[in-house]
Amino acid sequence: MRLEGVGRRYGVRGPWVLRGVELGLPPGGGVVRVEGANGSGKSTLLRLLAGIDRPSAGRISGRPSRTAYVPERFPATGLPFTARGWLVHLGRVHGLGSGEARARAGEWLERFGAAEFAGAPLDELSKGTCQKVAVAQGLLADPGLLVLDEAWTGLDAAARGALDVAVGELAARGSTVVFVDHDPSRLPGADRWQVAAGAVTPARTAPYAVITVSGPEDAPLPPDVVAVRTGDRVSLTVPDERADEVLRELLTCEPPWSVRGVSR
Amino acid sequence: MRAAVECAGGEPVTALVRYQCALLVRGHRWLAPAVLYAAILAIGIRGGEPALDSLGFAAAALTPSAAWLVRICVGAEPDAARACTVAARGAARTHLAALLAALAGALTLALAGTGAVLAVSDPRSSDHEVRLDVLPTAAAGLTAAVSCALLGVAVGALANRPVLRGPARSVPATLIGALAVLVAGVSPANAAVTGLVTGSRHGTVDLPLGPLALAAAVTAAAAAAACAVSGRRG
Repeated sequence: MRLEGVGRRYGVRGPWVLRGVELGLPPGGGVVRVEGANGSGKSTLLRLLAGIDRPSAGRISGRPSRTAYVPERFPATGLPFTARGWLVHLGRVHGLGSGEARARAGEWLERFGAAEFAGAPLDELSKGTCQKVAVAQGLLADPGLLVLDEAWTGLDAAARGALDVAVGELAARGSTVVFVDHDPSRLPGADRWQVAAGAVTPARTAPYAVITVSGPEDAPLPPDVVAVRTGDRVSLTVPDERADEVLRELLTCEPPWSVRGVSR
Repeated sequence: MRAAVECAGGEPVTALVRYQCALLVRGHRWLAPAVLYAAILAIGIRGGEPALDSLGFAAAALTPSAAWLVRICVGAEPDAARACTVAARGAARTHLAALLAALAGALTLALAGTGAVLAVSDPRSSDHEVRLDVLPTAAAGLTAAVSCALLGVAVGALANRPVLRGPARSVPATLIGALAVLVAGVSPANAAVTGLVTGSRHGTVDLPLGPLALAAAVTAAAAAAACAVSGRRG
């Protein structure tokens, strides 16, 4: 996916929010963090990437056919569905069959700890549970591009961790995830794009380490790390300066992990 | 409608239309325009009056409700949810699905209204002298109603978002547009209704297929324009 000379302004004479953006998304999939001050155009960039907003200038090409977007807040008043009902509709809109949409809706609600609310009307759910439904919608159909606009906001700690893991899995399967989040330690292995003064520049990625471990399924993982499970192995991406601390936690937790490799 | 669905991308658009119809039905938003239509019929139609005259009136009464249904459907989804659907399928298709859901609602009203009018009116000419065959009368009434429903959808598509934004412009434009397509001499809705009333005077039933085809073409063009604007403005 490529952005060529992309600009966006609101109104014919409005100031340019973004201008002359030339970017390519990592071809084999990956995770990109978009950074910038409030009002710098981060959300505008995300909406352009997701196809919700059209560029006023330039063009965007090669967007994956399955694109999903998760907004920061998901007020569900005015959506006359149960959580599962809405997810099944959106799953079908994403191109899934009815049965598959229903099964996956159940699985994702379960992963985010909202299985008990599957049959509840959306407008009776708490803000946090609504946000879990919106996040489940984003992951439902294995999107080739997932755009998360502060999707972690409003989630409880367990669901935030579950979203980190889900993003890691999606990227490991070759999809691209682009996100904005105000927690600077979120998904530390991600590429970074800096938005400032209408321009977007790829920033140097902070050094990080990948720790590969194996161990029993119930072994706990340290919080706030990107974990990708492949078979019985788990790869953890952590900022370089936290690598020793995470290793210590992995070796001393109960039951302990066994470390298979560390790379930078 | 099937052809429109297929040329716009097959299955996922069917899923979008299904979603939009569910939004319309489950949210009970269809009730207000349906009640408006029923109220106009209740005021304007009396039992035992000549069938074609009443069918012409019923068809014309459908146009404002059809335009209102479009207004409801294109604004039914909350913004956050709409962002998710648009990311999945694009703004143009999402908008087309809303228009098709409104059309499905309007056609349901056309069917119900035509049936109700036929049940209470006298299947004879205006002077109650010439007896009319029920099936051709029903077909002519339904064709006129569908023509008026289509034009109501066309008005709704052009008078609401994304073409006109904000209730200050949309509401009067929807109302005036719906009345204009009924009274304008060149309008196929006017032609269909006039055809029924003239037929009633002469004791003949003419199927208004010309006006129907013209109404379908006008509506397709209006929908295409609205979807194109939606795609451009996001």
